Amino acid sequence: MSLPLSYSVRNVRIRLRRTALTIAVIALAVVASAVFLALISSLQRTLVSTGSPENLVVLRKGSDNDGSSMLTLEAYQAIRFFDGIARDAAGQPLASPEMVVQPTVWTTRGTRENVLARGVEPVALRVHDQVRIVAGRMFRPSSGEVVLGVGTVGRYEGARLGEEMPFGRRRWRVVGIMEAAGSSFESEVWVDVRELANDANRPFPFSGVRLRVAPGADREALIRRIEDDPRYALEAKPETDYYADQAKSSRSLYVLLVVLAAPVGIAAGLGAANTMFAAVQARTVEIGTLRALGFSRGTILRAFLLESFGVAMVGFVVGALGTVALAAVIGAALGGIGFTAATFTTNVVALRVGAGDLGAAFLFAAAIGIIGGLLPAWRAARLRPVEALRKA
Amino acid sequence: MKYLPFVVRNLLRNKLRTALTGGAIGLAILLVCFFLTMPGGIDRLLSEVTSNVRVSVHNKGGVVYDMPYAYVQRVRSIPGVTAVNPEVWFGGAYEQEGMVTFPSFALDPDAVGNVWPDYDIEPLALEKFRRQRDAAIVGRETMKKYRWRIGQQVSLVSTVWPVTLTFRIVGEIPNDRAPHFWIQREYLAQAMEAQGRQLDTVGTIWVRVADPALVNDVMTRAVAMFRNSPAEVNAETEKSFFASFFGSLQSFVQIILVVTGLVALCVLCIAANTASMAVRERGREIAVLRAIGFGRSVIFGTLVAESTLLATLAGGVGALLTYGFSAMIRALSGASMGGNELGALTGFLVTRDIVARGIALSVVVGLVAGIAPAWGAARRPVAETLREVF
Repeated sequence: MSLPLSYSVRNVRIRLRRTALTIAVIALAVVASAVFLALISSLQRTLVSTGSPENLVVLRKGSDNDGSSMLTLEAYQAIRFFDGIARDAAGQPLASPEMVVQPTVWTTRGTRENVLARGVEPVALRVHDQVRIVAGRMFRPSSGEVVLGVGTVGRYEGARLGEEMPFGRRRWRVVGIMEAAGSSFESEVWVDVRELANDANRPFPFSGVRLRVAPGADREALIRRIEDDPRYALEAKPETDYYADQAKSSRSLYVLLVVLAAPVGIAAGLGAANTMFAAVQARTVEIGTLRALGFSRGTILRAFLLESFGVAMVGFVVGALGTVALAAVIGAALGGIGFTAATFTTNVVALRVGAGDLGAAFLFAAAIGIIGGLLPAWRAARLRPVEALRKA
Repeated sequence: MKYLPFVVRNLLRNKLRTALTGGAIGLAILLVCFFLTMPGGIDRLLSEVTSNVRVSVHNKGGVVYDMPYAYVQRVRSIPGVTAVNPEVWFGGAYEQEGMVTFPSFALDPDAVGNVWPDYDIEPLALEKFRRQRDAAIVGRETMKKYRWRIGQQVSLVSTVWPVTLTFRIVGEIPNDRAPHFWIQREYLAQAMEAQGRQLDTVGTIWVRVADPALVNDVMTRAVAMFRNSPAEVNAETEKSFFASFFGSLQSFVQIILVVTGLVALCVLCIAANTASMAVRERGREIAVLRAIGFGRSVIFGTLVAESTLLATLAGGVGALLTYGFSAMIRALSGASMGGNELGALTGFLVTRDIVARGIALSVVVGLVAGIAPAWGAARRPVAETLREVF
């Protein structure tokens, strides 16, 4: 004989206030853990998902990032015609000479951040196929125009389509907005490379070259050829490796977040399990009565487990909605989380709650529901009916 | 006080519940204490590594933009300035260690002692730094990291200038502060001249001001001096200069604070729930106590004391544990990084003041959680409660 489902449902309804409290506690635990997980995964997505495995980053030997590299014009002219570099329909090599500087820019909140300004030629859009212009157009060379990564829009003074953004020694007209699948290109500002070199007073216009490897070409052979050329002292590595290396410097931040998230989770879990525990334990008498009426231990256990699991799931749903809402509020209030990478430029990380983050929070809530319901129900069900009733 | 054993007994009645509630409160207070160190920690760290009479003058566009070298003389002429040092980013990469980079700067050896007297560099080392063209002074942490000794020769490949230079280490900066590798500007300039290029720019001009009261005046004058020139400048105190590097942590701190707030709220709910349960279970007992003559205030007092005692004990343990916890974070983050801006986090300490605030917070949690159920229990008419019992 099994307990009807309506028993569990009615239980919840009769103890509405306590159930609501339990749901609230579980929901808060879900929000806390999901926000932390989302923070870690958003950070990782932005920092690690940048770059394409078909691209090579060519820098001066010894530079660990393109902010501290310099490349001569002749080196660029030589390597762009190496074998194994993809070419466009017109036969031009897909080699994008680039220069990176980190000008200080004022945020609309009145603080300063260093933005990564990347000087490029129009070929850059074909080499970085992650990057798409989603509003406006690409800049025209030598006209003081810039294209903004979507993460910078509205974050900095003048960083809006049609406005003028001051950085370096002058003001630049914003003519386009670009997206790059959440990668760190979205935190950059793209300018004509020669104009930027001029503005920054750099003797060499290029800090590095991004190359697209031709389909079917031997990538390793191309890397060897670039690195072995004694004239230029260059080094080349796949763009994805380059950004993965950059992201390494933020590892300590992950460690910090995990160290913080663990006690947050434990505290919330303890509390939620305790609340659930209490909800079941308070009904020892009822359980005794049910046993006296002839319901088996297994039946009672199942009913209580079902109830506690159901409550935990409602808590999860409320918490998941709360997490999404909180992420939206944080996004609106902070506009994206500025995170300064090792190169001192700001990556704008959008806090996005992914399915994985909610999945982990779901498991957490389910564990709370099962452990919080199972232990006390098991304990109560094991009592002899007489004992349980005597407690009344 | 005479009711204390009674309160303790009540707490020990359901040990599992007490332990779970106490654990949740303790952990929450532990977290809150740690987060309380953040704003103060950043500030303390900045004050520790910076001087209030040192000013950075750099291009308005940012530190990657340079200024004409002639600016150095003009800044020196500002009243109140006692010493200036032009600093140029050398961007040296250490070949022998697989081309690792660390902050390396070329500067004027004569003015090092005057601009950074607080660095406590040995006078003998400063003297050698002045006299030997290829001399280098290295921060203690960098020395340790690469196991360098004084007198050793080190070759660095510049990633900014087209030169590779060999240096002889003549001294160390006996603290863990910002500059990790200092070289002579003249040495770099000569190496550049050999290639037919002139080193006529400067990245940052470090200025030492005679008196903290003059700092603002010097900064205003420096900015005004180069207004409408091709390289307008920005002047800021050393503290504000380094503060902008840590600025990016601010939004993380904000989010973490929001989450901590939620957890604290969660814990308050838990504590309130526990307290109300304890009261409900004991309805009969409370009625009996009242019937045999204990006043409302005693009932109310003991119940509130119960939740407050639990919260305070648990919170106290949590607050004290933050000493250990912050030490652990220091160890973890210190091991996994080599001196980037997150190194700031290694300087965080939980002070007595923060522990006191954590304990105060746990007292408040206990009081708030206990008051409502205790109030309800104390007010219930005895007859009504007893009727339920019999």
